[in-house]
Amino acid sequence: MENLHQLTAEKITRDLYPQKFGKRGMIWTATLAVICLIGAFAYYRQLKNGLVVTNMGDYVSWGIYISNFVFFVAISLVGSLVTAIFRLGNVTWSTPLTRIAEIIAVSAILFASLIIIVDMGRPERLLNLFSHGRLQSPIVWDVVVISTYLLISILLLYLPLLPDLKIMNQQKDTNPKWANKIYTFLGSFWKGNKEQKKINKKAVILLSITIIPVAFCIHTVTSWLFATTYRPGWDSTNFGAYFVSGAFLVGSGAVVVAMYMFRRFYKLEKYITESHFDHMGKALVLLALLYLYFNVNEYLVPAFKMKKPEEAHLSNLFAGEFAPMFWFAILVGMIIPILIVINRKGRKPLPMFIAGIMVVIGAWFKRYLIVTPTLLHPFLPMHDAPEKFKHYFPSWEEWAIAMGSLAGALLIITLFVRIFPIIPIHETIEENEIK
Amino acid sequence: MKSNNFIRLSAVVALFLTASVTNAQDSVVKEPTVKLSYYSVNNTIPYLLVKTQFKEGKKYTPAANISVQVNMDGDSTEVNLLGKFTTNENGEAKLILPVSSQSLWNSASQHHFKATASGKNFESTETELGITKSKISIDTSSDSGTKSVTAIVSEFKDGEWFPAKDVELKIGISRLNSLLPVGDEETYTTDSSGTVTAEFKKDSMPGDAKGNIILLVKADDNEFYGNISAEKSVPWGVYKKYESNFNKRSLFATRFRSPVWLIAMAYSIIAGVWGVLIYLIFQIIKIRKLRKIAA
Repeated sequence: MENLHQLTAEKITRDLYPQKFGKRGMIWTATLAVICLIGAFAYYRQLKNGLVVTNMGDYVSWGIYISNFVFFVAISLVGSLVTAIFRLGNVTWSTPLTRIAEIIAVSAILFASLIIIVDMGRPERLLNLFSHGRLQSPIVWDVVVISTYLLISILLLYLPLLPDLKIMNQQKDTNPKWANKIYTFLGSFWKGNKEQKKINKKAVILLSITIIPVAFCIHTVTSWLFATTYRPGWDSTNFGAYFVSGAFLVGSGAVVVAMYMFRRFYKLEKYITESHFDHMGKALVLLALLYLYFNVNEYLVPAFKMKKPEEAHLSNLFAGEFAPMFWFAILVGMIIPILIVINRKGRKPLPMFIAGIMVVIGAWFKRYLIVTPTLLHPFLPMHDAPEKFKHYFPSWEEWAIAMGSLAGALLIITLFVRIFPIIPIHETIEENEIK
Repeated sequence: MKSNNFIRLSAVVALFLTASVTNAQDSVVKEPTVKLSYYSVNNTIPYLLVKTQFKEGKKYTPAANISVQVNMDGDSTEVNLLGKFTTNENGEAKLILPVSSQSLWNSASQHHFKATASGKNFESTETELGITKSKISIDTSSDSGTKSVTAIVSEFKDGEWFPAKDVELKIGISRLNSLLPVGDEETYTTDSSGTVTAEFKKDSMPGDAKGNIILLVKADDNEFYGNISAEKSVPWGVYKKYESNFNKRSLFATRFRSPVWLIAMAYSIIAGVWGVLIYLIFQIIKIRKLRKIAA
């Protein structure tokens, strides 16, 4: 924001005010809506016919749905990184990125909750978790921590939005009627007086402190869904830290991609500058190296020992059926982005965007690799198991639902940007005035 | 010349195809088999076990609903017929020697059984089995802390019982679906007096309410005697009261039996975090109430 101090409050408000979708925006939104509808149709088929429409079975009982769930949970962690950790660390450059990070977190955690219900086959059985759930089960811990994290993320998105809602409510004439209803409902009470500001500031700090342990919990508990079993590939004491570091990486990658898209299509070059990409690039390299370190621990140590039950699993990853996907995830998800971004030139917007895309795609496949190959190598293999149990490729319904959920998360972000400013207007004006 | 080559090539191809077809047919051939086993437990009324199976390569699969007829010592008269029956879904059928065959059974020391099986897709197949009447008796002794089990195998010949030597026996304690050897050896072989003694080394084994355990001595698939066994109850076990841990608090218990430390930890974390969240929601309500104060 080198040149921001030359901008007036009116100019900043005009630049950051939510804009109507252009032609490209309409096509983008319609495409996402269509993918969501296809996913909804596939889910209707699953509800009607049962989980038999999927290719899951007695061996792979957690397939693409659960890998998608882990991916969503991972990506949602960025809310705590950018909003809370950076805020508490007085990292002022992160201001334009906080809302991007928070809406990514909210939409991701929302779809994480939905996809787990999809995986259950019978959605009404969700209630059984409350009526029959055991406190000893990591699944119950996950339900508790996800709902807690969802509420915290919504509050962390909502409270800093209040001053901006006042700005929106002041421009009722220019807003569509339906938008005014939303602004009035959510923020008509915000007058921006001293007491309100004081409470709000205190609440945001309190939330920022609370979200950090909850964020660590959410992904650690998700990792425990796997690590509390004896299965090869999951039976690891490294899993919590491994999951959390991977989550920070993919979340940062997603923020970088979103930064580039919003900057380009909403013409926010003055607000999301090359300096922001440079800072995020440095964070990305650090997180990618950290995740790579945990990967080395996760695979090298068991490979060195090569215990019999681990052997089939690891051989399959390193040189077997899953080797192309495994090396793709390692190279594209970590090593190549590090090589791109470690360079100053690599931290320019376009290379950063490419690195961000690579990180996100690599991370999705990494989650698939965490879930599926282990299930194909059970600790106690079935006697005379049919050949089809030993291979898994999702059915079209599974693909449609998984892609529909990804499109749904993007659709929420897209609609949010249509209604609310993606860069905090009030905070930007305040910071500009201080400078 | 060319014509000759063509004929040779055709012949090779034809031979190859024929061989392939023959192999293909061989690979799907199911050979019907019948197995007949003789059992005598505690020298009571013996029974026969018939097993009908299909043999495919080295693999055996049960042949269900197969009609089986079993005869003893010939098939000329009705007396020789022990019974007609059908095998169950596991291809098995059990035949206890009927009362009608008692006089024939008592008339000789050796008997010859023949089973004939036939059914749908199961060609008529026969198997035969010859046995000599035999029995096992068990004796136990306990001398200065050393317990031992003595088994005597006898065979019936010319109206009298004689020792049966070189019979391989398993001597153990009868457990659920298995036999736990009483000593270090898996099997024991009878001497010229038909006797074998095994030291009992399994002290403190769980027994019934009176501390009784069942000693079991058996010969499996013996060439002359079939499957014979004998049991004896001895007070060499200990009574162990079953203590259910079903209602104890543990990580593997039911939902209302969570460990106290887990309940305390989980609920204090939940209360701490949700306490903050409820406080924050009240703060939002407070912000709403402050709307009347101008900026």
